[in-house]
Amino acid sequence: MSIPVERETLSDASNPMGIEGVEYIEYRTARPQALGQVLELMGFRPVARHRSREVLLYRQGSMNLIINAHAGAGSHLQPVPEVPSIAAIAVRVRDAAAAHARAIELGAWDVPVRVAPMELHIPSIHGVGASRVYFVDRHREFSIYDVDFVPIPGVDPQPPAMSGLRWFGVVQYIGAGRTEDWVEFYRELFGFLELGEDRQAGVLPKGTVLRSPDGSLHLQLIEPDSVVEDGGEHFQRVAFGAPDVPAAAAALRERGVHFVETERLHVQTRGALTRSWLGGLMFELVHVDA
Amino acid sequence: MFIRDFGLDTITLAGALPGKLQAIREAGFSQVMLSARDIAGHAGGVDDAVACVRASGLRVTGFQVLRDFEGLSGHLHGYKVDVAKSMISMCKAVGAPLLLACSSTSQHASADLHAIGRDLRKLAMLALPHGIRIVYEGLSWGRHINEYTTAWQAVQLGDMPNLGLAIDSYHLFATRTALDGLDEIDPARIFFVQLSDFMWNEVRTPEERMATARTFRVFPGEGVHTPQLTELVLRLQRMGYAGDYSFEVFNDDYQQMPPSVVAARGRRAAEWLAEEVLRRSVPLPHEGRLDRTAALARRLSGPPAPIEA
Repeated sequence: MSIPVERETLSDASNPMGIEGVEYIEYRTARPQALGQVLELMGFRPVARHRSREVLLYRQGSMNLIINAHAGAGSHLQPVPEVPSIAAIAVRVRDAAAAHARAIELGAWDVPVRVAPMELHIPSIHGVGASRVYFVDRHREFSIYDVDFVPIPGVDPQPPAMSGLRWFGVVQYIGAGRTEDWVEFYRELFGFLELGEDRQAGVLPKGTVLRSPDGSLHLQLIEPDSVVEDGGEHFQRVAFGAPDVPAAAAALRERGVHFVETERLHVQTRGALTRSWLGGLMFELVHVDA
Repeated sequence: MFIRDFGLDTITLAGALPGKLQAIREAGFSQVMLSARDIAGHAGGVDDAVACVRASGLRVTGFQVLRDFEGLSGHLHGYKVDVAKSMISMCKAVGAPLLLACSSTSQHASADLHAIGRDLRKLAMLALPHGIRIVYEGLSWGRHINEYTTAWQAVQLGDMPNLGLAIDSYHLFATRTALDGLDEIDPARIFFVQLSDFMWNEVRTPEERMATARTFRVFPGEGVHTPQLTELVLRLQRMGYAGDYSFEVFNDDYQQMPPSVVAARGRRAAEWLAEEVLRRSVPLPHEGRLDRTAALARRLSGPPAPIEA
């Protein structure tokens, strides 16, 4: 049954930010070319460059992925990391200004915007560690990339997705005893809800899985195995949804991607995990219905 | 309950931060409750103060104090949010897992308990990504919240996993609040206990409470409320309270005595509580705390997230 969207605002309580999907995920690294090569193995294609910064847009199917190697990126005080790290998630919302204002009102930390003339002002808040969450509402009438990016000549601006890959979610490492805190953070600010114990999410069913109210993004919160191993809090890896994980893994293998193959953890119908590149970059495949 | 469960507040001692830390350590304490003034006013600057704290080897119990946060509106609320963010940033920098917030004394603050709860919730949300817990205390001269019982109501309305209650024996004795209210409180939500006493039986007005609190507190065992203090600590133990105790002893006389002498008085109070009141053996000074604490300290000692607002 299709539900007319505009008739009532019933969805507001369960989707207080009006989340409508993931606009992009951003990595930061001092080695953009090395990361770019890995992304190409994973089926992404570079499609555009930022007008004024060392920032590249990669794409496959519905997924936009940004590599930010801009050393002077004003809003990032920390040095650009060698190992690519997930620096931001940009979510599509009905009204970015309203979503941002609501988050600040509830106690999120604003990230001051520093844009060059004619660039888009994308409001954001601080997320886990040094990461940001951006709010984007200009995704219907035109693309935000039309403003800040220049297309790379001669490439298909809309490369198709390999094996139906799409965003599934992000794994977030958290401190010992911090699950309750972060569940509340994502519930209060974004309306994410915790999935039950019977969830089937990937090959590593550890921790707590949350889902955005529109179903477009999952977050898996993982505490350290022992308190001694506590390695800080950050986004650890991106997970792609795939309708047929073994087929997707086979296609990726042909391109040179290696998967973890141990007795406990290997490519199977419900998911797979790549081996790591560049000192810690890895991706997960998670079964989703086509 | 061992002596290592007790710490000293830096406000209890005279002088500059390095001397306070040294006195606390040499008296055999393994933890310290830091005052923001000691960090912000450190002669070598904040970064050096943070380095001093880390070099001391003392575990940081918490950081104080955020005042008059809740119940405000408009530009006053915005101003206090900025102050809170500064405090949270410092709290994180020194590796403190707790930020103490005490109930508002402001005439501009709302009496609406729901508004107070909402503001505490926001404060807890501000602290959450930084791994810091907010611990709320009812000052005995607070304008609307002046007992632990109402402070607990506000904490419940705030309803955040990183929001809890601080019990301060001074305020409880000053307002003569019955200890029975503790039975209504989830011990897991008591994040912190401050202990001190004073030397007269009654402080009737808010002004008297404030004056006594700020000039003439004494260590546990030195005041006239020893039976009540003993009962408080025993009750907390029976409830299963598992957090820290710290001695917050504002005293004008102690401000004129060498920190080592005052810290030694604190040590005697800790021994009295551990051995005579709670009847536990005393392990060696500086014995390592639980792994949990070490892990938390390591996590907090990582590179701080950029703070720009």
